[in-house]
Amino acid sequence: MQHEVFANTEDFGGPDIVAGTGRISQPGVDAPYANYELGKPFDEMFSRDGQARATYAAIDSRVSSLPLEELNRRQQAVEQSFLHQGITFTVYNDNQATERIIPTDLLPRIVTAREWDRIERGLTQRIHALNLFLRDIYTDGRVLKDGVIPRSMIYGSKHYRREMRGIPVPHGAYVNICGSDLIRNEAGDFVVLEDNLRVPSGVSYMLANRDVARRAFPAVFRSMGVRPIEHYPLELLATLRSLTPFHEDVSIAILTPGVFNSAYFEHAFLARQMGVELVEGRDLLVNDNVVYTRTTSGLKRIDVIYRRIDDDFIDPLIFREDSALGVPGLFNAYRAGNVMIANALGTGVADDKAVYAYVPRLIRYYLAEEPILDNVETFLCREEKSLQHVLGNLDKLVVKAVGESGGYGMLIGPHASTKEREDFAEKIRADPENYIAQPTIQLSTAPTFVGNGIEARHVDLRPFILHGAETKLVPGALTRVALKRGSLVVNSSQGGGSKDTWVLSQ
Amino acid sequence: MLSRVADSLYWMSRYIERAEHTARLIAVKLESMVEQTPEDAAASWARVTQSLTGIKTAPLHLDAFAITRHLAFDRDNDNSLITSLSLARDNARQVREALSNEVWENLNRLYLRLAPVTMDSIWVHTPARLFRESLEEMHALEGVTYSTLSHGEGWYFLELGRHIERVQQLGRLLDVHFTAAQTGNGPKYFDWLVLLKFCTAFEPYTKQYTASIRPQKIAEFLLFDSEFPHSICFSVDRLTEALARVAPGAPPARRAAVERLAGRLKAAVDFGQVDELMSGGVAAFIADITKQCEQIHKALYSSYITYGAETVL
Repeated sequence: MQHEVFANTEDFGGPDIVAGTGRISQPGVDAPYANYELGKPFDEMFSRDGQARATYAAIDSRVSSLPLEELNRRQQAVEQSFLHQGITFTVYNDNQATERIIPTDLLPRIVTAREWDRIERGLTQRIHALNLFLRDIYTDGRVLKDGVIPRSMIYGSKHYRREMRGIPVPHGAYVNICGSDLIRNEAGDFVVLEDNLRVPSGVSYMLANRDVARRAFPAVFRSMGVRPIEHYPLELLATLRSLTPFHEDVSIAILTPGVFNSAYFEHAFLARQMGVELVEGRDLLVNDNVVYTRTTSGLKRIDVIYRRIDDDFIDPLIFREDSALGVPGLFNAYRAGNVMIANALGTGVADDKAVYAYVPRLIRYYLAEEPILDNVETFLCREEKSLQHVLGNLDKLVVKAVGESGGYGMLIGPHASTKEREDFAEKIRADPENYIAQPTIQLSTAPTFVGNGIEARHVDLRPFILHGAETKLVPGALTRVALKRGSLVVNSSQGGGSKDTWVLSQ
Repeated sequence: MLSRVADSLYWMSRYIERAEHTARLIAVKLESMVEQTPEDAAASWARVTQSLTGIKTAPLHLDAFAITRHLAFDRDNDNSLITSLSLARDNARQVREALSNEVWENLNRLYLRLAPVTMDSIWVHTPARLFRESLEEMHALEGVTYSTLSHGEGWYFLELGRHIERVQQLGRLLDVHFTAAQTGNGPKYFDWLVLLKFCTAFEPYTKQYTASIRPQKIAEFLLFDSEFPHSICFSVDRLTEALARVAPGAPPARRAAVERLAGRLKAAVDFGQVDELMSGGVAAFIADITKQCEQIHKALYSSYITYGAETVL
């Protein structure tokens, strides 16, 4: 493989010799795992009886042979390297802008070939169904006529874009870039928590983390048959190219909100890796329904835009008129077929909380297949049977209002008082259509370096799916880590970090 | 090349040049002041400050600490070393995709190194050292820029920024020295020597004219030597060359507007005679060159960067 040839074997520390300690570490007993807690959630490294899984044996023996100071040194070298590369986001506090890195953990998370195979098939199936669904609701609405999903849920969604009705989309591919969040349940099975169908980010961290883990543990990396992911930008480029019928001289641009956006590093990174222009709204103009960029030599036509701006801001003539980020006239150029936009507009209607619950049925409806990857079990209160179950088990469930986000309109059953549960039950009975319920979600734990040892932290998994003329998954993912002990919040804005994900070829 | 990208590259380069010039002046000044009387050192600091900030100050009392702080680390000073580096970095961040990793990381590292520095921490030992080290890092940055970027349009915009800025900075520095020479209390022998060091010109000058330090020869060297990189002539040559290489596909009328100005500037420098300038004419000559550079800057923008889209549709 190409990346093996060019693998940067420069180590953050000394030579990385796989010198086994000859025994398996016991979590909760041996350094550096003395504070490693195995609880109810599935653990990625240790089985319930405290045995390290075979896939983690090489990492275990390497880590156990390194003094803590050495791990600390490598961790600091990584942070320094991220800071210098500008892999940062900016936090504003009292008019002071501070640049922070998104913490990255040295220790890789390992996904076996079998697990990956299921994830790949499952997500491929899912993105097919979701794209068929999007085409359906923006054209015939068959799924609505057949009563598979309630009409009001779609037409009432704030992410439904009437303007998209009847606009042809190449290959029927509305969602070209998707980042789905998976979690591993207590039984160790991967289930889908969320489909991100709008402008998912994080893929640059997937690639940056690979550099980190490969340099931290070069010999272990080489010995394990980790599948390469470095071709992601190439696959993304091919996906974007496949959206136009032209093959020569296709002009592609990434549209970024600009340098103040928290994902700006990623936008610039992808532009460099693909060799395409990185543009802001102010670089583009539309004339006679054709999109141009202003260059030093004159105007240059743009054929495909990978937009990293939300629907609302993309064209002030059609959507939010106060948007300074977008391009006036862009939507008409799109409607005229003179420019392709990835992802298409209006894809957000398919990733909200309520539609999520219907995805397994959508898979059966459009593909006549059983879902390969399950959802987190979700009860729709609009359905009588589920409603009774929810009302009878409020102490065990998390109930969410579908139209709300950010924790509003939510009941966390196990933490609520009897009075709170009774009040909430009233609300549900009054407007059952507005509520869904899920069991309290457990994320699996994975070994994470915390400075004075290795402890268990909750993780999720975000693989990236590309869908144009073909569907492609690069065998890797962003593993997000909740760095606070016991926390289930993996978001980078709230103390989350990330780590490399090794998908094994065997 | 996107006009916005060209704009950012141009300014990134100007700010790096400004930072480098500032760092060098401070380093040379800190090193040389120990050999001067307090009065001479104060007069010299005043000239440095005036050339860097455009503000004429009375050299009443010498406070090297306060002046260095103002020129190097004062973020309220639009021309301080740290402000220039910060602006260079902001521009570089805007065009990460047009730069190599090496260029970005060198610049970013330098900024992150200087950003937290306090005057107290450098003043206790050898204050000049930090500025010397910064200069080394800026030379490394220049090196990776030369060797890791394609020498295409973007690179020529960097060249334009660098050399337009250099002409301006050099011009101001020569101006304050030659204007002061007209007065009774002008630069002394040692100050002329330091002027050469401000421009990294001491050794190249002595190779040309021996160690005989004479204002007229200094003017001749720093204005008209075509081989020395910190002369006006050298920079004007580079910038006319760069102007011929940017915006290759722009309409001829728009190219002509810029190239005509460049040709005029080059002629002025190529046929300038130092003998004619010495009787107070150095300042006037520099004022003319500086003005022409400003016109080139404006033409560059209106032809390639801020042109109205309706003019090309």
